[in-house]
Amino acid sequence: MNTPIKESWLHKVNPALKLLILAILFVFAVTIHQLNVMIPFTLTVSILFFLCTGQPYRNLFLILIPFFLVFFSTSLSMILFGKGDTTLFKWGIIHVTEESLYRGVHLGFRALVFALMGITFVLTTKPVKLFYSLMQQLKLQPKYAYSFMAAIRLIPIMFEEFKTIRDAQKVRGLHSEKGVWSKLKRIKALPIPLLSQSIRRAFRIAVAMEAKRFNSLQERTFYYQVGFSTYDLLFISYIVSSIGLSYWLASEFPLFPVTDVRY
Amino acid sequence: MEYITSIKNLNLKFPKEEGLLFNDLSISIRKGEKVLLLGPSGCGKSTLLQVLTGLIPRSMDVPLKSESIQIPDSWGFVFQDPDSQFCMPYVDEEIAFVLENLRIPREEMTDRIKKLLTTVGLQLDNIHNKIQALSGGMKQRLALASVLALDPEVIFLDEPTALIDDDGTAQVWDTVKSIADDKTLIIVEHKIDQIIDIIDRIIVFTDDGTIMADGEPAYVFSHFKAEIKRFGIWYPNAWGEYIKEKANITYNNYSDTVLNLDNFRGYRGKVPAITLEKATVQSGEWIAVTGANGAGKSTLILSLMQLLRTTGEYKIEGRPIRSFSDLEKKTYFVFQNPEYQFLTNRVIDELTYDIRQRVSPDVMKQANDLLSLFGLKDKQNQHPYHLSLGQKRRLSVATAFLQDPKILLLDEPTFGQDSKNTFKLLELLQEESRKGTIIIMVTHDLNIIHHFATRVWEVKGGKVICDWKKDEIKREEGRMYEYTY
Repeated sequence: MNTPIKESWLHKVNPALKLLILAILFVFAVTIHQLNVMIPFTLTVSILFFLCTGQPYRNLFLILIPFFLVFFSTSLSMILFGKGDTTLFKWGIIHVTEESLYRGVHLGFRALVFALMGITFVLTTKPVKLFYSLMQQLKLQPKYAYSFMAAIRLIPIMFEEFKTIRDAQKVRGLHSEKGVWSKLKRIKALPIPLLSQSIRRAFRIAVAMEAKRFNSLQERTFYYQVGFSTYDLLFISYIVSSIGLSYWLASEFPLFPVTDVRY
Repeated sequence: MEYITSIKNLNLKFPKEEGLLFNDLSISIRKGEKVLLLGPSGCGKSTLLQVLTGLIPRSMDVPLKSESIQIPDSWGFVFQDPDSQFCMPYVDEEIAFVLENLRIPREEMTDRIKKLLTTVGLQLDNIHNKIQALSGGMKQRLALASVLALDPEVIFLDEPTALIDDDGTAQVWDTVKSIADDKTLIIVEHKIDQIIDIIDRIIVFTDDGTIMADGEPAYVFSHFKAEIKRFGIWYPNAWGEYIKEKANITYNNYSDTVLNLDNFRGYRGKVPAITLEKATVQSGEWIAVTGANGAGKSTLILSLMQLLRTTGEYKIEGRPIRSFSDLEKKTYFVFQNPEYQFLTNRVIDELTYDIRQRVSPDVMKQANDLLSLFGLKDKQNQHPYHLSLGQKRRLSVATAFLQDPKILLLDEPTFGQDSKNTFKLLELLQEESRKGTIIIMVTHDLNIIHHFATRVWEVKGGKVICDWKKDEIKREEGRMYEYTY
């Protein structure tokens, strides 16, 4: 959510359109059952992630660490315990077969591509612009859009508050006791002040918005006009051609002999 | 006579509370008047502003009945908390939000935003500036700018400076003065010194929500002085009279050194955020930590409480302190928001919380005495969250006293308190300091520095740059005014 260091064409794509296409891609990714398609598709998405998010490479690799964790944990459970006929390795309940190996790797890639698409969207879209676009292109009701924007503003404030409350309770001696019971008590003591403060703040913001003549029913003008541009066309063609390319590569240069990983 | 806003026979009651907040209240305000509403906390001043603007009952569901309510044709409202009146992350977007609501064409917005920001004296290199990066005073001026975007006849201000420091307060009131000419102002405020000169009508409420006095400032303050004082409302020269009454604020002199600091540093992340070269502190000293906003005052006391990473020598009674557990309850910290420190469901339990394993009759008696001392005896079975702000603050200080700490650290404990609560709290702290407790307190209030503190630490740019004893405070006073105001 940080402001990117440099903006690329992907930042200029209409946010509502970007969201819509990504939503379709999520569904599409679930319907891919060929590892030979999945791998090139993941590669084309990671090109967007590496070249178009505008973040320094150090940050991008840091973000990748948990993603690889997701990759391995998802694929390992399938590889080790999945069903299959051609046994590669067997030890106790661990049973690695060729089918489960392919299927596990496929699932890992699926998780990875989900994560990459999601984070690429977040890194190239400003929340404010997204909500303006949703209001203008998808006719989202202003009352929802502005409530969400106000809520996003509250997140860092809540985080600061969370640290302060923890310190304040530490001073009261909440953290000096040992044992599971006092740990539970510690967890229990946090949400009440945090929530009471947040509810109060949310209520105040709502009143302040109405005091500024916010009215969900009437027409309004917009400070940001979010429209369409050639970048949208570029984005759509990139996605369409990357899907086409993936299928073409899968049929012409298959990496693995299997076509369908389903058992 | 032309009234711009008025109420006739208002009756209002908050659900679940006993009795009416207002009983047949009538009030009318003329165009162009600059009105100040005064009254003890909880008397309904803020509620009245919300009724006059129609926010009650339109935005807030509170049952009310009245013969007539005349809401001004155009009005704007500046709220107390700078952090909870904006809904957008950037300065320009926030003002644009108001312009959008008014259906101003997009092409005109940028010019209008720039003009409004200039009017309130917010000079920003780039109007697309994060609101979070502004100081409290700047945030409240932004709030004023977005109110001015509505081009209101009447501006309502509900304690706009209660949560910001003196610098910010001065900025806000200067801005209000510069735009007030042709506007009607209706203000609720505790700290009145800086606005009293533009006010031409004061309305004083009693604690049961009836109007006690209504008139020009000079008339009100001369005829109703005793009542105003009794209700704990700040009035010009409240401090001067208090000091005259309590002619002798005395201290015991102790000679035992409790606190040793040498090359003491507190860190936020990897950078040292506060440095204190060298200091020794004796029992019973009262140190006021002062300096501009963001200089590192709170960082200093957080470091002393070991809530931040520290380096250098730090000893209490000769024992080195390197982590929070080394403190062994010898120090106690009172946070600015008292709610953060409440852990139980009853006022009395708050006091005995730490020693609950062995609540002897002795401790119980001590706790009860403290409650009487702090004026909380009749509230002992209430939930701490149900107390008023002043009571919450007193309770959070009271929890410190039962622990009997050697060093008591406080972060602006008198912030936004009425005069009665302020003096009471200071007297209780003084009592504690006479017993030998060291008090280290962040404060902007020159009156406290002058009359209660025995020593001043001035913080500037992350360093404690001055360390004055009592007799030097007076001498340096002229210079100190320079930075506090």
